[in-house]
This record gives sequence, structure tokens and C-alpha cells, in this order.
Amino acid sequence: MAPLRSQLLLLPALALAIGSASWAGLSRSLLTQYGDIARAVGNSSESHNCAKSILTSDRLQVVVTLSAFFNDTWEAANCANCIKNNSEELSNSTQEFMDLFNKSLTCFEHNLQGQAMDLSPNNYTEVCKNCNGTYKNLSDLYNKLQRLNRHGDESGHSAHLCIDVEDAMNITRKLWSRTFNCSVPCSDTVPVIAVSSFILFLPIVFYLSSFLHSKQKKRILILPKRIQSNASLVNIQEKYS
Amino acid sequence: ELPRPYPNEIPHNEKLLSLKYESLDYDNSENQLFLEEERRINHAAFRTVEIKRWVICAMIGILTGLVACFIDIVVENLAGLKYRVVKDNIDKFTEKGGLSFSLLLWATLNASVVMVGSVIVAFVEPVAAGSGIPQIKCYLNGVKIPHVVRLKTLVIKVCGVILSVVGGLAVGKEGPMIHSGAVIAAGISQGRSTSLKRDFKIFEYFRRDTEKRDFVSAGAAAGVSAAFGAPVGGVLFSLEEGASFWNQFLTWRIFFASMISTFTLNSVLSVYHGNPWDLSSPGLINFGRFDNETCMLTPPSFPLTGGILGALFNALNYWLTMFRIRYIHRPCLQVIEAMLVAAVTAAVGFVMIYCSRDCQPIQGSSVAYPLQCCGIGVLAVCSPPTSAPTGEQPLALLWGSPQLPLVTLSFLPFQLFCADGEYNSMATAFFNTPEKSVVNLFHDPPGSYNPMTLGMFTLMYFFLACWTYGLTVSAGVFIPSLLIGAAWGRLFGISLSYLAKGSIWADPGKYALMGAAAQLGGIVRMTLSLTVIMMEATGNVTYGFPIMLVLMTAKIVGDYFVEGLYDMHIQLQSVPFLHWEAPVTSHSLTAREVMSTPVTCLRRIERVGTVVDILSDTSSNHNGFPVVESNPNTTQVAGLRGLILRSQLIVLGLVPPQVFVERANLNLVQRRLKLKDFRDAYPRFPPIQSIHVSQDERECMIDLSEFMNPTPYTVPQEASLPRVFKLFRALGLRHLVVVNNHNEVVGMVTRKDLARYRLGKEGLEELSLAQT
Repeated sequence: MAPLRSQLLLLPALALAIGSASWAGLSRSLLTQYGDIARAVGNSSESHNCAKSILTSDRLQVVVTLSAFFNDTWEAANCANCIKNNSEELSNSTQEFMDLFNKSLTCFEHNLQGQAMDLSPNNYTEVCKNCNGTYKNLSDLYNKLQRLNRHGDESGHSAHLCIDVEDAMNITRKLWSRTFNCSVPCSDTVPVIAVSSFILFLPIVFYLSSFLHSKQKKRILILPKRIQSNASLVNIQEKYS
Repeated sequence: ELPRPYPNEIPHNEKLLSLKYESLDYDNSENQLFLEEERRINHAAFRTVEIKRWVICAMIGILTGLVACFIDIVVENLAGLKYRVVKDNIDKFTEKGGLSFSLLLWATLNASVVMVGSVIVAFVEPVAAGSGIPQIKCYLNGVKIPHVVRLKTLVIKVCGVILSVVGGLAVGKEGPMIHSGAVIAAGISQGRSTSLKRDFKIFEYFRRDTEKRDFVSAGAAAGVSAAFGAPVGGVLFSLEEGASFWNQFLTWRIFFASMISTFTLNSVLSVYHGNPWDLSSPGLINFGRFDNETCMLTPPSFPLTGGILGALFNALNYWLTMFRIRYIHRPCLQVIEAMLVAAVTAAVGFVMIYCSRDCQPIQGSSVAYPLQCCGIGVLAVCSPPTSAPTGEQPLALLWGSPQLPLVTLSFLPFQLFCADGEYNSMATAFFNTPEKSVVNLFHDPPGSYNPMTLGMFTLMYFFLACWTYGLTVSAGVFIPSLLIGAAWGRLFGISLSYLAKGSIWADPGKYALMGAAAQLGGIVRMTLSLTVIMMEATGNVTYGFPIMLVLMTAKIVGDYFVEGLYDMHIQLQSVPFLHWEAPVTSHSLTAREVMSTPVTCLRRIERVGTVVDILSDTSSNHNGFPVVESNPNTTQVAGLRGLILRSQLIVLGLVPPQVFVERANLNLVQRRLKLKDFRDAYPRFPPIQSIHVSQDERECMIDLSEFMNPTPYTVPQEASLPRVFKLFRALGLRHLVVVNNHNEVVGMVTRKDLARYRLGKEGLEELSLAQT
């Protein structure tokens, strides 16, 4: 029991890892911490009664809860996607992606060295020009990974990539589009307005021409065959006078 | 003397009744042939007939469910294909410039698909236009709309609705299901196909209007059930429309058909989506799961807004439809109009997407739910949160909803001019099917929608939907109304949470539901069936009470201004529709003033030549002839003996042994006519011109006694209009003979005589008859 409880002292370390998940990768942090606990819980469950009495011996059942938490987070983050099978290393594609990611960050830092980031917020043209290629490569690799993942996982697994990859891409995109403002500007407003005005004008022409040229549909009235038809005749007459 | 000549030709208006609509022969003609057949059939055979009725209802349910599946699957695939084509094009042109080409491509694609859909309706079967609900309402009321339940109509309707939805029009595919269900029912119950000229020789007992009409009620209910996943709502829809001809056994069978229909749809769609026991799509539209809400307060402004907006929608549509009937009556013009509407829908959507700068990041996972509070400030009562609220409001798009499986149209939205990783939310609004948008409006968490985007979308969609209804395409109006209502309901919920900062009223999704109910009630004005349909679609009986209040209030508000949409279209088509009761101030009118006179009568033993001449008379298209006692003195009015129909006379003349040519000495009597011969000729009786009678045959005499209905319903000439109306409507009559004290025929009351009295704005008014 004591070894298990001492694992809990690792919690602060874990929190540190999570806090820095944006850069180091949540999956890797989870792997190192979760791996130990999982092994520990796994070992103790070999003799079930003994395991049960130890694990549920306190009111909060902390160990069981934490183990379940790690398990769920691992599944939700789809960490298995970027870890090689049965080892603690990143898979080839994930490694390639992380390399490109680091390269992009280096490129950004390099091109921003000459400027103070908060003094001239609009002058990122250097960054946009020089790092365009690297960013494009990163984007294309990400799309390729997503496509492969979607095709390979039709049977109901998560349609997401590993959270490390997604977070990395998200950060890069935010930097590229929001901070540096390197997105594509729109340029063809005039032709769009012209074509849409033409299309919107067509029905008006159509209705006017049918109003002016079509013969209006007239109805031939039938006299009803009834007694006292004179009175009703006068009524109908007055209506149309 | 008349001060000015009687106007013969007037422009079309809604105060006319057309002569081309006849009544159904619901009342049974109990002539000697019928009594003979009943003597022959023993008790056990009647039980077989009853079992056959149940079997037919089951088949109606299954087939209606299958047709609904077919429509759903084909629409899904074709719309997905179109989406991919347009998306690839837009993505390609966003970077390079030249987005106007994308606009042209989208508009052309829409216009061409709608052109095909409109051509098949306008040129092949015009009665398949619209949603079909007005036509079915008329049929259940007892009016024989020509071609409404034919096989050709079904095929055109199904193809038409698929093409309209894929063509991007602001329409729904639920209304046409009701018409389709009715046609399926009419077809199956006869056991043969007149169009395909195949007779399966089963169900011959049901080949008459009485049985067919009952099965059509079951078919309409099965259609409603397949469309909304609401079996009880379907039964009540048929009840509301065909109320007077009701009996318990019919109710059971209709319910049976509806349940089977929704279950078939559910299982087939589940199997198609790869999840056989999922069973989560009981109808073509599912509203998703609605849990009990702590705060069910719906402000009275909801039904008020719903009623007023609904009245506005109907009024605009009325003027448009009037214009269309008067000026756009040639089929090619109708097709061009439909194409233009499709192109403009694409253009409006594109312009709004282009101008919208509302970019939102996409999230596919579930999000936290905020506190649920009801009330303001210190008076707020809050339920505990289901999970801790996040720091910033989560943003999801109109299509990715956490509660529903992403089964249909799993496409990626447009990026257009947004940053990487973000998508244009107006684009998804316009490219989604309306059903998905409605469901997303109901279930997306607060903060998912930009009010500006939503407001612009609502406005544009309102006018597009109003313009689209009434085109010569097969399309319904339920889903567009729900979408408009859900959008402004949601807007209202969002603005309420802005105003009452610090505490939240009900979730805006619930306001969207109430708005949708209010708008739909304001447009179609159906109360009982619509309440139950919406209650079943939400899957939660607790919502029944607020929905009912909202619908009733919206109806009252809307009725103050203008009629419901379907009733309005029925009036514009000049159909002699009989309401539930006669107009209230009409007790002063008697049968004598209402009836048509003089009546063309036949004598019991009549000359063949006279019969043929009467039938061939083109100036009056009578279908029922009272049979009076043969009297050598022809000028004296004789006593009523029976009633015979034109269709029966035609069969007499056409089918061997051509009773017309029976000789007076009765020596050459061949095979006697049986009831089966009449049933075989039903329902398409040939015209009198196809019967050739030679000069000799014209002089023969024919005895109508065994073919006529010996006990027709009659009414004294002093009976008041409401009394005559009640008798006529409750029994589903086609002809009602008016007699005097001596049982002599003085006049005849038919549907058009009764339908012309209406309660207008200034009191009782009378509609005129016109040839259309």
C-alpha cells in the first residue's frame, strides 16, 4: 500500500507536466506518470481480494479514482495515436511533425529577433514572407495526417489525432493567423457583386414581363340554376359593380 | 330588369367555386345487386374481409416507411455529392481569386436540378405540385381531386421532392410524405394498378370510394408518422381532416398503419447507417432528446410573434399565388420561375457567406452545460450544474451537435476567408439541410450563435421560404417554418440572456423550440394534430402543455388576420370544401333556396335514347339522376323511387350484355349483370361518347329498378341550411334529393350548393361558380 500512496506524491509533478502540456506534450507527460501507476495498480490486482481490500480501504478510494481519471484522459486525448505500439517513444509520423513544428517556431523566433513584439504589432511582413514555406509544409503534413487517420479509423475510434499534435498545430495557427495576421486577403468583391446583382435582377425582369405580356387568366361565371335566382343575380351583380 | 349585363368573365379571385371538382361516392348504393351479394357472402367471409383490411393497413405502413427511407437516403447522397463539388470549387478559388465563378457554378447547379424537378411536375403531373397536404385535406373532406391518388402522381412526387431538396430550395421533404402515403394506400387497397394495366384479383371487395377513402386516411396518417416520427400525431391528423366519417375500427387500423410505418423507417435507416439496434431515427426529422427543463416560462410574446409573422407569411404568399394563377399559368413560365428562385437562393446564400466575417473554431467533442436558473436577480432559482462551467463559452457550429450521432452529411464546413482552423458559420447555415439546422438550433449550447448572423439568416430565409411555396415543384413548408421560428426563438433567448445579465432564463434551445412551434402554428393553423406531433417529436410529454398553449394562441392571433396557409390555397384553387359546420347565421336559409332546380330525372322504365341524350348533354354535367315513377303523362311530376349515378348508367351501357339492348320480350336474356362488373369498371369510367347505340337500340326500354339505389336520402324543402349541411357532411353524401309533401322531386342539393355559403367579414356571403 505504501508504494501506491507514495505515487500520489507525484501529483505536483504531474500538475507541472499538464501546465506545460502546450509545449512538451500531454501524452508524453501522461505516459511517464501514468505508466508507473498503471503498472502498480496492475500488479496489485493479481490477487483480487487482496487488491480490493487495499484499493478500497479509504473513504475516497483515491487510487481507483485517479487511475480511472488517467485512463479516461488517455482515451479522450487519443494518446495511443502518437505513441509507438508497446513502447514509450513517439511514432515516426508524430516525430516528423514535432520536428517541423520546432522548425517553424525557430523560424518565427529568428525573424522576430530584430523587433520588439509589443511595439510594432503590424509589421510582421518579414515573418510572413520567410516562414511561409515552413508553415505550408507543416499545414500539409497535418492535413495528410488527418486524412490518414480518418480513413484508417472508420470503425468508430476517435476521429481526432493525438492531442499533442492537435495542440501544436492550434498554437501555430493562432500565431500565424491572429498574431502575425498572415492570412489571405479577399480581392474579388467587384465581380461577385456584379454576378449576384445580375442574378437578383432576373426575377424582377421575369415578373414584369409576364405581368405585361401574359394574358390574364379569366374565369367564366356559371349562372346557378335555382329558385329566386333574380335576387341572387342582383346580389352578385352589386358585388362586381 | 337588370341595370347592366351580367359579367361573364372575371379575373380569378378566391371567391369562386370550380365545377371540375366532384364529390366522392362515400354513401353506399344499396341496390338489388348489392343485397344479392350480401346474401351470398356468409359470416366467415366477412371475417376474412376484416382480416384483409388489417393486412392492407400493415402493407400501407411498411411501404410508406420504405418510400420515406428511399427519399432520405437519396437526398443524403445527392446533396453530399453536390456539396463536395461546390466546396472543391470554392476552396480552389478562395486563394486564387475569382469566387464569382463559384457563385455561377452554384447557381447553375441549383437551377438545373430544380429545372428537372419542375419540368416533371409542370408537364407530366401538375397535381403533384406543392406539398400535397391541401389536396389530401380535400380528399378526406370528400372532394374528388382529379389524378390525386394515381401511381404517376406518386412517382413524380417522390422524384420531385428529391430534386427540390437537392436543388437547394428553401423547402422541406416532410409534407410530400403525407401525399405519398395517401397514394400508396389508395393503390394497395384496390389490388390492381390501372396505370400499369395489371389486376392482381385480390381486394375486389374494396373497389369503391367508401373503402378507398378510409384507406387513404390510413395512408395519410402513415405518411405523417414517417415524416415526423409521430404515430399518434398521424392518427389525429387524419381525424382532424376527415372527422365526420369516423368509427372505432378505423381508428385502430389507422394507428396500426402509423406505428408500422415509423418502425419500418426506423429499422431500415438504422441498418443503413450500420447500427442495426440504434433505432434513433423514427422520422425523417428528429428533434433530438429534450430533457426536462427547470424553467418552462414562455413569454406571451412568442405566440403573438408567431401568429403575426405567420399571418404575414400567409398574406405575402396569398398575393404571390394570386399573381401566379393569373399571369404565370403556362408550364414553361412555371419552370422558368422555379429555376430563377433556385438561382436566387444560391446567390443570396453566397452573398451572405461572402460578407459574413463570423469565424468560429470547430469543436467536435461534448461541452459543459452552464447553470440552469430561472428568474431574475435575487428571485432566481438555480439547479445544480451538471458539470463545472468552463472559463470561456464553448463555440460549436450549426452542424456539430454533441447529443446526436454525426450520421448524415458528415462534411467539413467552408473556411473561406477565416483563419486556419476556423470556419465560416454562415456557410454551414446555408449549406446544411434545414432539418439539421433546426435540430442544431434546438440543442447547441448557449453562445454558439452570433446574433447578427442568425438575424440576417432568419430574415433572408423568411422571404425565400415565402417566395418558394407555391412554385410548381414538390415541396413542403413544415421545415422552413420550423427553421424560421427556431431562429427567431433562439435570437429571443440570446437577447434575453444579454438583458438579464447575471442570471439565465431557460436555455435558448428551449426558446427555439417554442418559437418553432409558434411560427408553425401561425402558418398552418393546425392545433390538435400539430401539438401531438411536436410533443412526440420532442419525446417529452412535459413539453406538451406549453406547446399546446403556444399553438392555440398563435392560431387565435393569426386567424384574426388571415387564414391558414393550406386553407388559403384550397380557396385559391376554388375547391368546394365543406367545413365542420354550416356558417352560424344561416338558419334562415332553407333547402328550397339552396337546391338546384329543375332536376333532370329519369323514369323507372325509360327509353334508351332518352338516357343517352341526357348523359351526352354537355351543357350540364350531372352525375346523379333521381328516378321517378313511370307515368304516361310526362308533364306531371311523379314520386321519387330511387337515385342512379352516371357511372352506373355507363356500366349498364358498356359491359356485356349491354342492358341497353335488352329486348322487350326478355327472351334473349344473356348473363346477368353482377356487382363485380361495377367494381371492375371503378374508378375510371369511360365517357358516354365511347358507347355506341344504334337507332333501333335507342327505341328499347330499360328498367332501372334493380340498379338504382331504392332508398336515397331525402330532405323536405323547408329544412334549414345547417340541417341539410349536417346530414350531407356527416354521411358523406354526393347527392341529396329535396322533396315536397307528396314525395315529388323538387330539387337536388350537391356539394357546390352547400359550399358556396361562407362566413365572410361582413356576414354570410355567397361564392359564385366558375368554369376552370
